[in-house]
Parts: sequence; C-alpha cells; structure tokens
Amino acid sequence: MSGSKEDNMEENGKKVTRRKFLEAGIGVITGAIAVGLGGTALTSIGAPAITNKREGKWVEAGNASELADGQFHKIGITYDAKDGWLEGKVKQLVYVKVNGEEVFALSATCTHLGCNVNFDEQSGNFKCPCHSGVYDATGENVSGPPTHSLAKLEAKVEDGKLMINTALKEA
Amino acid sequence: MFGRLIEVFDRRLGFREEFKRNVLDHPVPPRINLTYCFGGITFLLYLLLAVTGVAMLFFYVPSIDHAFVTVEYITFDLPLGNPIRAIHHWSANIMITAVFLHMLRVYVYGAYKNPREFNWVTGVFLFGITLAFGFTGYLLPWDQKAYWATKVGVLMPKSLPVAGPFLSQLLMGGDDLGALTLSRFFAIHVAVLPILTVIFLAGHFWMIRRLGISKPL
Repeated sequence: MSGSKEDNMEENGKKVTRRKFLEAGIGVITGAIAVGLGGTALTSIGAPAITNKREGKWVEAGNASELADGQFHKIGITYDAKDGWLEGKVKQLVYVKVNGEEVFALSATCTHLGCNVNFDEQSGNFKCPCHSGVYDATGENVSGPPTHSLAKLEAKVEDGKLMINTALKEA
Repeated sequence: MFGRLIEVFDRRLGFREEFKRNVLDHPVPPRINLTYCFGGITFLLYLLLAVTGVAMLFFYVPSIDHAFVTVEYITFDLPLGNPIRAIHHWSANIMITAVFLHMLRVYVYGAYKNPREFNWVTGVFLFGITLAFGFTGYLLPWDQKAYWATKVGVLMPKSLPVAGPFLSQLLMGGDDLGALTLSRFFAIHVAVLPILTVIFLAGHFWMIRRLGISKPL
C-alpha cells in the first residue's frame, strides 16, 4: 500500500504534497519496523538450523590390538554433545575393521529409515533387519530400499588406542 | 511484481480505497496534539511484545529445571536472541508507562464521558490485563529477582479477609511458589492474557471507530 503511493509520486511527476510525503513517511516507518522486527525474529528462530550442529570430535573406542583381526567389530560409541541449552549424550553404533594401522569405520545406521544394520559373516554383507536393505563390505548399497551407501567415519590408531571421529561422512 | 500482485487483489476487493478512507484520510477533530498518540503507542508496543514473545516461545521452556537455562541460551547463545529479549523487556516496561499516560490524558480531557463510558470500562480491563502481563512475565526467567518479587506478589492477597489465603494458594498453585506456579504463570502469560487482550481491544477499537475520538478541550 505504501509502495503504491511512492509509485504514484514517480509516475505522475507532480509536486509532492505534504499529504503524500507524510503518507509515504508512514509507509516507510511502518515497513522499517515490520522488516526490522520480523527479520530479527525470523533470524533467531531459523538460526539453530545452522548453529546447532553436531560437531565431529575424536573419541576413544577401545584397544586397537584387541580388534586387529581384520574382521568387522560392532562398537557403540557414546559422546557428549551440546543440544541447544542441554549437554546431552549421543550414541552411535559403528562397525570397525582394523588392519594394523589401517582402520575402516562405517556407521551402522541404515540410510533407508535409520535402523541398525547387522553384519552377516556368511555373505560378508551388512543386512538391515527392518526392510532387508543390503550393503556390501565397503558400505555400498547393493539391494533393497536403501538408495545411499552407509556413512563412513574417520578412524585411526593412536598409541595403541582406536580413535573414531564422530562426524558422519554421508555419501 | 509486488505492485502487480497488490493490483490483482485490489481490483477485486478495493482495499486500497478502503485503507485510504479509513486510515490515511480518516477525519479527526482539529487541534489534536501529541498526547493523543499514547493509545496508538501502547498498541504498537503490544505488537512488538507479541512478535518478540512468539520468537522466544520457540526456545523458552516453562519448567523450573530449564527456565533459567533457556533464558540464558536466548540471551547469550542464540543469534539475535539478546535484542529480541531486550525489545520484549523494554516494550513491556514502556507499555506500562504508555498505558498510564493514555489513561491520564483521557481522564484530564474528560474523554471518558458519555457516550464513551464503555471505552473507559474496556480500557480499565485492558489496564488490568497489562499489569497481569507484567506480573506473570516477571516470574518467567526464574532468577532470584523473579522468584522473590513474585513471592511478595503472591503473598499480598493473603491479607485479604476470608478468601485471602485461598486466593494466594490459587495464584501459586498450592502452598509453595514452585513448579506449578511457573507453569500457570506461563499459561496465563502466553495464552489467557493475549486472548483477553484481543477481545477487549476489539471492543475498545470498534467503539472508538464508531464514536470517533472526543474533541480537544
């Protein structure tokens, strides 16, 4: 509505009357308050989408020597994570395979609907108990509903301890 | 683009003309002065409080475990949370003043007289609602100041005869100022009072439109 007043002023090129000036002024001030206040409110409501991120951090997950048999091991890692105003715990189930210094870690969370997959030793595949999603030993989705491979995690051996970074690297 | 969009609606509904007639070109008595603005200022502050209040509702948790933590979160962690809380705080304080000045102006000018008695009556209700907003909102941060100020407030009715002790317990939701007090103050602050305000404001505004504002002295 205020916009139309300003348009009129430019279009007809007549001299700006006091009434028109004041009307435009009301429009500008009202608009400034609305945009300023609305923008501030929406920014803070939307901000946690960007600021409330789960940060990747290195957590210890047992002795590397006990796991170093070239087989997949199911390990549950628990770590502190900030959740808004709370300090919470996040649990993550991980499959790790340790070959000397080389470590391969996969998230056990199925990319279909988030169940935990199981490693099937006979076929050497990961199978999801919920909807029969199948992933191969590298985490690639092979069959069933999943459209993405299992998320990978950075992992390393440090002073004989297995260290896992909690940041999930989704394919 | 935006102008065209407005055009689409305006051609059908003609609100531009309506807006011009009812708002921009609305006649008011001559020799009006700035003291006539206090009512409008009060309404503007109410709108500011509503918007910032809704924004904080996204983060505030009305329980004695979390109220203070979430207020701290809004103030120190949330981007632009501090200005939102500050606007709410200052608008609330200034609104009490603006309501008082509005009433003072109406009283001194005798604007409450026939036929505008019911404007005064709804206004007095709105004044009470504003004070209730202030009283209930003060407790919500659940800090020491909030706690002890409310302690004083809820114990005041106790000295009234007969119903006094019960009124006090009704305010607190029991014998102690605690979890139930906070949640009922929260409910009153964010649900009951806003609805009552809208009802009384609608009457207040409709009547002043119907009767026009009183002429200056």
